[in-house]
Amino acid sequence: MLIVLALVAFTSAPLSAHRRDEYLQAARLDMTLTRVTLELDLTPGIAVADSIIGDLDRNRDGALSKSEQDAYAAQVMSAIDLELGGRVLQPQVSAVTFPNLDAFRHGNGTIRVEAAADLPPLPAGDRELFFRNRFRPDVGAYLANALAPQSDRVSVLAQHRDPDQRELTIDYVVRGEPPPRLPWWVSGVVAGLALTTAFLLRPRVALD
Amino acid sequence: MDAAARLILLTAVAAAVATPPSISAQRSAWSQSPPANTQAATTARIVTAAKAVLASLDDAGRAKVQFPFDSPQKAKWSNFPVGIFARDGIKLGDLTAPQKDAVFNLLTVALSRDGYQKVRDIMRGDEVLKTTDGGRGGRGGPPGGQRGGGRGGPGGGLMFGEDLYYLAFLGAPSTTDPWMLQFGGHHLAINLTMAGSQATMAPSLPAAQPATFTVEGRTVRPLGRENDKAFALINALDEKQRGQAILSYRVSDLVLGPGQDGRTIQPEGLRGSAMTPAQQGMLLDIVREWAGIMADAYAEPRMQEIRAAVGDTYFAWSGPTTNGSAAYFRVQGPTLVIEYAPQGNVDHIHTIYRDPTNDYGAKIAKR
Repeated sequence: MLIVLALVAFTSAPLSAHRRDEYLQAARLDMTLTRVTLELDLTPGIAVADSIIGDLDRNRDGALSKSEQDAYAAQVMSAIDLELGGRVLQPQVSAVTFPNLDAFRHGNGTIRVEAAADLPPLPAGDRELFFRNRFRPDVGAYLANALAPQSDRVSVLAQHRDPDQRELTIDYVVRGEPPPRLPWWVSGVVAGLALTTAFLLRPRVALD
Repeated sequence: MDAAARLILLTAVAAAVATPPSISAQRSAWSQSPPANTQAATTARIVTAAKAVLASLDDAGRAKVQFPFDSPQKAKWSNFPVGIFARDGIKLGDLTAPQKDAVFNLLTVALSRDGYQKVRDIMRGDEVLKTTDGGRGGRGGPPGGQRGGGRGGPGGGLMFGEDLYYLAFLGAPSTTDPWMLQFGGHHLAINLTMAGSQATMAPSLPAAQPATFTVEGRTVRPLGRENDKAFALINALDEKQRGQAILSYRVSDLVLGPGQDGRTIQPEGLRGSAMTPAQQGMLLDIVREWAGIMADAYAEPRMQEIRAAVGDTYFAWSGPTTNGSAAYFRVQGPTLVIEYAPQGNVDHIHTIYRDPTNDYGAKIAKR
């Protein structure tokens, strides 16, 4: 597992609304042929910042160490459920980004956690991905969305959520390898021949 | 006609039928575009106005306003007030009256009449916020209550007001090479990228708090038309259409707001192809409130592009359908994302305008 830790100046952190009393948790799910990736942006409002800082800065030294960041990311991920077709997935954290603590006090600090789960080889067909966020429900405000798939072999069919967007079920389909496509003019010639054959073999009516 | 002749004729007809339809659609789209010289003339006027701004500044001011085209400054915009999110560029409050005049003249040239009015109304709203109790904004927060902000006490003082808006140029103003005009502050980010006769205003963020206020006896609603047109559309839908448009869950904020460059979410809601022509017209009228912020010569081809894909454009709604309520809506098409997100009440609105294929001029600014 590659963990990339970065301390980002709050002026360049990804930002969202300046809500005060909620902990905005925005999840985005990306499905590919072989993998499911979760991006989670966590933005505490300033009214709940002290509570979040208390959880983060465990030794109260005013700074976030790598171990404190790792521990918080693990705490977040322990509250995330991800299932594919009823089978539990174990997404591994691939990157985390933390702002400095001042950014939380200003209400514009966003923690970003990225995690991914590799999928076993599966036949083409319909799939159902279930996501649930159980992290900090006391103050949480949630967003959950499927990203538009990059592969033209993957299509999202439907998304189903609970009223608070803590749960998201994504129905999607994975298609098999498409057969090699014929040039359009070959299709045209084939169609032309078929029409010609039908025309020549049509029943004829004597006019005399 | 003998059999051989029939064969040749029918093969030719079949081949023509098999020609990809997109070619004829593209031809149609191009033929509807307005003359490029109208757009090129607009770019030339904007460049002249931008150079007038530069000429009004001293060396220090020019150094502050100018950034490389591909610098990180491109993505440095936010809904946050300046005291929380620092902007770069020249600050209106630091300018002399003639310098300010040059900046506002630039904006009048770069934006449509309605777009310029919207920008000024958003700025006036921030001036109102500076001098009144910002607590009316609900979750968005009273400025005086922000620990660590610590500026100005109740009402926000130095964190709000018309002086705290910034102008930056990314790349040198040019009629041929790509460059970007960036103007913004609290609740406003205008990112206008130009490349010769082409331009895009994506991504941009017009927002408002308060969303309704009075100036010299005039009631001002910077985003009032956006709100009213959307409520009109949701109420023009029949029961079945509403069932598709109205999402069954709460959307508490922008999904693709600041910091979400390069992402495209799966569209949801009612598809334009399931609307009547009149409803499609109402949808396009909503879109124009954002796409029409930039100068008309740029906005018209942009609207044509969006109109051509209206069947693939979705309208999604979350919240009550009675005007005066706080409701979220989203318009999403192949080259468009618009979100309108009340921040807990109707007096504090965030919106975003994006083109996932052309944010920051990705499509038009290729060198």
